[in-house]
Amino acid sequence: MPTVEKYLKPEVIRHISRLDLRAQFIVKGFLQGLHASPFHGFSVEFSEHRKYTHGDNPDDIDWLVYAKTDKYYVKKYEAETNLTGYLVMDLSASMAYTHDQELSKFDYSICLAAALCYLMIHQNDPVGLITFGEKIENSLAPKSKRQQIGNILSLLANLRPRNKTNIGQSLNQVAAMLKHSSLVMLFSDLLTDSDEVIASLRRLRHGGHDVILFHILDQAEVKFPFDGLVELRDPETGETLEIDADAYRSEYLEEISGFRSLYETECRQSGIDYVPLDTSMQFDRALTEYLINRRNRG
Amino acid sequence: MGFLTPALLGGVALVALPIILHLIKRRQPKKLDFPALQFVRKRQAANRRRLNFRHLLLLALRCAFIVGLALALARPTIKGSGLRGKEGAPLAVALVIDNSARMQYVYQNSTRRQVASDMAQGLLLQLPESAEIGVLDLSRSSAGFVVDASTAEARVQNLVAENNPRPLEDAVREAIQLVADRKESRQEVFLFSDLNADSFTESAIENINEALSEAPDVRIYLVDVGVEEVKNLSLLPLEMRATSLRLGEPLHIEAPVAANGMADNPLVELFLQDADGKPIKRGQRVAELTEEGIGRVSFELADLPLGTHQGSVRLTTSDPLQIDDTRYFTVEVRPAAQILLLGEDASDALFLREALSPSLIADHASNQFDCLTERYAKANNVAFDDFDAICLLDPPPLSDELWQKIVDFADQGGSVGLFLGHLARANELNRSAAQRLLPGVLKRKSRLTTYFRPRQFDHPALRGFRDFSAEIPWQIYPVFEYWEFADLAGDTYVIAPFANHHPALLERPVGRGRALTFATAISDPLEPVGREPWNLLPTGPEPWPFVALMNQIVGYMAQSENRPLEYLAGETVSISLPPRQRVSSFVLRPPIGQPLRRSLPPGEETIRISTTGELGNYRVASGGEDRRLDRGFSINLAPELSRLMRVDPVALVGALPSDQVKLARTLDDVERYVDIGRTGRGLFPWAISLVAIVWGTEYVLANRFYRESP
Repeated sequence: MPTVEKYLKPEVIRHISRLDLRAQFIVKGFLQGLHASPFHGFSVEFSEHRKYTHGDNPDDIDWLVYAKTDKYYVKKYEAETNLTGYLVMDLSASMAYTHDQELSKFDYSICLAAALCYLMIHQNDPVGLITFGEKIENSLAPKSKRQQIGNILSLLANLRPRNKTNIGQSLNQVAAMLKHSSLVMLFSDLLTDSDEVIASLRRLRHGGHDVILFHILDQAEVKFPFDGLVELRDPETGETLEIDADAYRSEYLEEISGFRSLYETECRQSGIDYVPLDTSMQFDRALTEYLINRRNRG
Repeated sequence: MGFLTPALLGGVALVALPIILHLIKRRQPKKLDFPALQFVRKRQAANRRRLNFRHLLLLALRCAFIVGLALALARPTIKGSGLRGKEGAPLAVALVIDNSARMQYVYQNSTRRQVASDMAQGLLLQLPESAEIGVLDLSRSSAGFVVDASTAEARVQNLVAENNPRPLEDAVREAIQLVADRKESRQEVFLFSDLNADSFTESAIENINEALSEAPDVRIYLVDVGVEEVKNLSLLPLEMRATSLRLGEPLHIEAPVAANGMADNPLVELFLQDADGKPIKRGQRVAELTEEGIGRVSFELADLPLGTHQGSVRLTTSDPLQIDDTRYFTVEVRPAAQILLLGEDASDALFLREALSPSLIADHASNQFDCLTERYAKANNVAFDDFDAICLLDPPPLSDELWQKIVDFADQGGSVGLFLGHLARANELNRSAAQRLLPGVLKRKSRLTTYFRPRQFDHPALRGFRDFSAEIPWQIYPVFEYWEFADLAGDTYVIAPFANHHPALLERPVGRGRALTFATAISDPLEPVGREPWNLLPTGPEPWPFVALMNQIVGYMAQSENRPLEYLAGETVSISLPPRQRVSSFVLRPPIGQPLRRSLPPGEETIRISTTGELGNYRVASGGEDRRLDRGFSINLAPELSRLMRVDPVALVGALPSDQVKLARTLDDVERYVDIGRTGRGLFPWAISLVAIVWGTEYVLANRFYRESP
């Protein structure tokens, strides 16, 4: 495997502590992988230069070319249409959960968000960030400047999941907040009342936004690897249950699978991209989803 | 159900331990954070029930483990024949081993007796030292308890085949009585038998049942050492025309053969012993077997010299039971007996002489009797010592001198026959020396028409008629006249009466000899001159009964009747000594072992031998090299000991009380019975296995239940 592609693996990326590097490595690994994929030729790099004409954004002037030719040229990108993206992070305490002490759901979400941020800025797509617990807590307005990467990553790096969550209400707030149709990328484990969440997702969608729902669960939550007698505690509510894990596994797996299916069905009906993930999965799945979404819009 | 160490049952109380631990120290589950608890919660109720069930299951398994362990260590037993109230009581055991000759049947290289003996020895090893042990077999001697187990073992080891076994039921009843006398002991009888049908007849089973009903505490373990499918080839008792042959008369032997499960025609050989007792083969024949497995061969040997000859007939084909493959025989070749016939007239002796030595066949065959006829008038000139017997035909009044001479002859061991007729004078005979010979005082001539009518045939003079006594038409030979006796002498024996119960043939011992008196004449022709004949015995139609009767009477008188020379094992053999032979000691030469010297009390005329357990030819000799006495006899196996038919074991046990009689086939069965009967069957292996299963299940469940999550 080419060296950079290994960074798509969570167990590799967790050994890198800096979030910006994590994001870079993930995206580089992803792009490397694309060359051998059906997305070959789907360049997100600029394709040519053209002469600066009045009305062009002076920010797009390639000053290096000007230095060589003494003429104004602007970069021309294949995807001319820019996509405003919002990375919406769930800060609920349950997101901090990790069973195997590797990447928590929150770490995974941040890595993914950072990588997407990196990729989008690279595409000159403006990207913003919204975090929420019971309500919206932080938000960064979308920008496509390179420094936006730093802003977003520094905010992400300092985020700590701590609160109880209210996804439905928070999403409603987001829907109200967004003025233009945007791509809303929601990172959450959705461990709350699903009806409310689904309703708010619909509302968001009806607001004209594209929504990609990254449903992130811990590997343990998907596979339930426990044995014997265990007492389980909900970190958000503090509620405990004593169960015989062996006997319970199949029933739990049924439940969790039904839970995912519910969201998948609802999302499909609402035109929302539902991306079920767990913390053991490679990051490229999420990135690919983003690119597909972007192309469809383009 | 019982326990060998009931004290350990106290360990059951430890069952409280897991219950207490369960109540006060429940194992804490591993605590884990788990955000997706909402999915768990949905099925919580069912899971909690299952959890509780598992807790209780574990608790139950742990309790069962402790209880099971305590029970197993207490050594539970099942009582089979356990006699209530006698636990721990001493043991009285009787081993009954069928050691009849039939048990020599070989199967898988072992005789049935050996198998029984081995099993009995194996059983003896199991018995506690304190046990009282009796060993009974089918020999005639009864046995009590032996001193110790090693004596019992020696007795079992040294059992020999018994050719003359007593009935098995006798030994069983004796064994039952033996152990039943030990009232305070557990009473057990082990019967080792081949379950032969002859041993367990209906009456035998009835007798055993009766003995058991009188001894309700006795248990019989019937150990079957028999063989299901038996094969046998046996020689049945030899059939000989005569055991006493006259010189020149050929020996004729018929040897019947019976086969059971053996198809090949067997070869039968005849051996005759030479002077040194060494068998010399004198003939062989193949016995053609019929579909029923019966065959017969005959041998004829001519030119046997005077003396006693012994031999054997053998089957050469080998079969599992060999003891019945040989039959022994003894035959005596004697010179013709010298008989003096005295009559008033030579014609008086005609009928008797013709009956004893028919003139018609005199040239063709040797006669048993050599008869000399003489008139009373010349009797004084005859040397009586040359004769074995003297017959007085219709004696008239004789001189005292002649009577004395005749009495002297009898005193010396000779035999005198008196055939009284019309010439006899009562007053004459009643006063003279003739009274020494006559059975009593003559009373009168009776003219009641009757006929000779023997009723008992055990006297040697009539024994020849025994087998066909009912077929002799005595009534067609009427007796018109005969002598009646007033008083019979005290030592007179009536051998046979007339039909009207008056004595007809009488015997009286005289000195070392004897006198036989026939109460009617046998010398009267059919139509005597001037009078009626006394009877038609010699002159009736085809007077063969007369011929046979005279041959037997005179043969007896001359000691030349066919004496039985063949006996069954265990029978007492009687050998009558010749009247004028004095024997004070003799040598008995058995078929196996050293010759035995025996002495005979003075005046004893019969040698009686009871040590006849060994099969074979025996020889009795006296008088050193000149062999003044040289006789022999043969001992053979009883033919029923060749019968190998078995009873159905299940039916047999069914016919006996089921709570008192058990059937075993192998030593394992026997040992199991010993365990069950004595201490009960040990359930320890089962109990401890069960405990191990419980423990294993608990281990697996507990591990699965409380497994450390990764």
